[in-house]
Amino acid sequence: MSDAPLYLQPRLTAGPASLLRAGPFLHGLVDGLGSPLAVVLPEEIGRNAAQFAAVLRRHRLGGRIYFAHKATGSSALVRHLAATSACLDAASPEELQHALGAGFTGGRLMATGPKDPAFLWLAARTGTTVNADGPGELEQAARLVRAHGLPRLEVVLRLSGFEAAGARTLSRRSRFGTPAAALGPLLDLLEKHRDALEPVGVGYHLDTTSTDEKATALEGCIRAVDALRSRGFRPRAIDVGGGYGVSYLAHAAQWERYTTALTEAALGRRGPLAWGGYGYGLRVENGTLKGSLALYPAHRPAAGPAYLDELLSRPAPTLGRPLGTLLLESLCDVYAEPGRALADQCGLTLGRVLEVRTDTGGPPWVRLALNAGDVGLEDHGVLVDPVLVPRRSEPPPPDGPGAVGVHLMGNLCLEADLITRRTVFLPRLPDPGDLLAFPNTAGYCMDFTATRAQRQPTARKVAVREEEGVWRWCLDEQYWPVTEAGG
Amino acid sequence: MRYDSITEAIGNTPLVRIDQDVHGLRNIDLYAKLEMLNPFGSLKDRPAWNMVRDRLAGAAARGETVVELSSGNTAKALALIAGMHGLPFKSVTNRMRVPEIKDLLLLLGARIEELPGQSECLDPTDTADPLTLFHQQLSAPGSTHLHTDQYFNPLNAQAHAEGTGPEIIADLDGRAPDWFIACVGTAGSSTGIARSLRAHDPAVRVVGLVGAKSDFIPGIRTADEVQEVGLFDPAVYDAIEAVTSDEALDGMLVLLRRCGMLSGPTGGAAYHGAVRHLRALDAELTERRTAVFVVCDRTEGYLGYVRQRRPELLGRPPVRNSADTVTDAELAAARSVEVPEARAWVESGRPLVVDLRGPFAYGALHIDGSVNIVDELFAELVRGGLPFSTSRPVLLACPIGEQSLRYAALLTRMGHPDVRSLAGGIVAWRDAGAPLVRD
Repeated sequence: MSDAPLYLQPRLTAGPASLLRAGPFLHGLVDGLGSPLAVVLPEEIGRNAAQFAAVLRRHRLGGRIYFAHKATGSSALVRHLAATSACLDAASPEELQHALGAGFTGGRLMATGPKDPAFLWLAARTGTTVNADGPGELEQAARLVRAHGLPRLEVVLRLSGFEAAGARTLSRRSRFGTPAAALGPLLDLLEKHRDALEPVGVGYHLDTTSTDEKATALEGCIRAVDALRSRGFRPRAIDVGGGYGVSYLAHAAQWERYTTALTEAALGRRGPLAWGGYGYGLRVENGTLKGSLALYPAHRPAAGPAYLDELLSRPAPTLGRPLGTLLLESLCDVYAEPGRALADQCGLTLGRVLEVRTDTGGPPWVRLALNAGDVGLEDHGVLVDPVLVPRRSEPPPPDGPGAVGVHLMGNLCLEADLITRRTVFLPRLPDPGDLLAFPNTAGYCMDFTATRAQRQPTARKVAVREEEGVWRWCLDEQYWPVTEAGG
Repeated sequence: MRYDSITEAIGNTPLVRIDQDVHGLRNIDLYAKLEMLNPFGSLKDRPAWNMVRDRLAGAAARGETVVELSSGNTAKALALIAGMHGLPFKSVTNRMRVPEIKDLLLLLGARIEELPGQSECLDPTDTADPLTLFHQQLSAPGSTHLHTDQYFNPLNAQAHAEGTGPEIIADLDGRAPDWFIACVGTAGSSTGIARSLRAHDPAVRVVGLVGAKSDFIPGIRTADEVQEVGLFDPAVYDAIEAVTSDEALDGMLVLLRRCGMLSGPTGGAAYHGAVRHLRALDAELTERRTAVFVVCDRTEGYLGYVRQRRPELLGRPPVRNSADTVTDAELAAARSVEVPEARAWVESGRPLVVDLRGPFAYGALHIDGSVNIVDELFAELVRGGLPFSTSRPVLLACPIGEQSLRYAALLTRMGHPDVRSLAGGIVAWRDAGAPLVRD
């Protein structure tokens, strides 16, 4: 068994790769603002939105790309997006207020998720489309519109529980949406509230990486649009939800080698790869492997815009033509709600190395001035290596003789506070004062799980931008997508 | 050969020598065990029958459903056997990636349930493997299932230990081969055959072939996935080697085009893996040796799989009257009509309006009086010549006016004097507020 370092090197586009080469700049930021520190790159989100829009153009489809705001707490990313043609979906009244304050106007906003009366009122008042979960929400929205004399409210009906013909594809049960089979009563309700509600489309939101269930749901939506039209409504869009995925890793081969090694470790054919022999969901019973890897598929052949392209290119399960073609022929625009995929490459989280202990009788311990709440990668099942940003010299080549497996310890007084349970391989042993940069944390892994536990500081957030080879920064809340000169 | 039941025709499959000019091994006779000649079409006929034959009595009276976690051949054999004995059959799978097999199973009356894909947002409570979930479901109280459990059932390997293996020895004049090469799926055939060959001659070397990780060959599991199989025991194999889907298809082509064997991709993988493993050993040999590999199933069910991976193998030359042959100059010369003008033209009743969209979209909303000829059908029609009389003007409509312009150019080239494309298509028509009807 090879004991070569099992690297999981991050996939980095030009922007974040250049930022990670700017060691003195990053050290200056952490010196001034403390560790942990969250860094966002607003320009990347504009690039991602443009790539999603290009997929729709390639399929000749009209539509809107709604950023699922819940993936980030950053103002800079939301404000930057407001300056593009992208839209935004808000999952709480605070997110909606934040988006309105960032420059989004009602026509570019959608309200999703569980809604209270205040959220519904603010959406209806500002002309935000409401992605309605069910009949109760529609009734409530109609009441609000009438009681407050608000303009007719655009709604998208979220449907779930689509049945496939032939082979039954089992879907995980979802908390959200109205069963597609119960569309009839929903349409009766809309007819009753014609004066208050205008159904502009239908949609689904499925938590799965598989395009099979999504193809079934999308086709079900095409049929639902037809049902709406037959009742005299004029729907124009189908909301294909989120779940486009991010490929976190640079090399498929490293991911394959690593997951195979996890299997071997579970079977006891090689040493443990994680703290306390943790198996990430794998275990062995009577010599047979059981369980499944509770990991995000960190290397994906098709992620983000490419995944949307794949979905639109797939033949519909029963109508037979490619889904994109069916949407086009049925005169439907596409609404998509990427969160993680739009935030791809838009940020990283920096942590200062406080102490390195080599007297552990195993892999050395590297203690950092941050904890697992500040870097949500492990919490989301994402395994990816941090990048060592040395205080002094240049980093050694990754295949150098100094490669070492370490455990990353957090700053909480808690046995279980490891940044990740796995043994992380670094090109060399870090020194106190070095930084570890956790890559690609902007989507869900930056502030989603941060806490003030034990009164440890949560990360400040800064927005950075490269101008003619020089990196500039400002606090996240200071960022606006205009230049200092007002251009 | 007269039988009372089709199940009696299971087994006794031919062992056929591969021509030396094909494989190029100088000192090794390579034989294919043609398991695709079993009555239901694959080597799974043996374990399927062996796992249910003693449990059929009274199963119908007890209202049992035959269930298996299978993505293909086992399900196919069980569906047929269940049907013969008046039992329903249900296949649960997360690996059914061959659409033809899915359709065939539905045709045979099987119920298919496909397990959901992996969650995009990590759910830490969701770490059970499909097999475990499936077993939990089946052991629920009150369940009346006849669960064959191919990944753990010793009767799977036993079917091969008592059938396939002894047949190979008999056909080699009572000697075991020097090498046996098999793909590992449920590990039933490789384990069972290896057991009987070794009982006859302990010196037999067994090579197990697994899929390359992140690749997909129907019926084979990857190096990691075989660990989930109860019948899999690494000690059975002298070597375990990986085969890619590309190599499987290369091997399949050799069997198809040079050996007259209608093998599927798995047989191709076995052939490729066998020749690759033996080539290195062949040069060292000074005396004749024999090797056997298994052709698991037939090629016909995998045309979609081939089309997806090697479309060039099914390529057809471009045809004469095809929209693909329209030149830029012809496209630029084709006539299109803007919506206001088109409305007046349509209302005059002169042009025949042809809507090229799919029937579902056409049925929902279309221009009043138009005819629906879906693009795929239209392409077929024009291949044979002009589908309209030249005395009738034609207005072609598609979603956005691109495809219709291409066909307008083609029909003009074919000699139609007045064919025009609706500029901007049905989308522009709708956006202009022009009427669309449902009939």
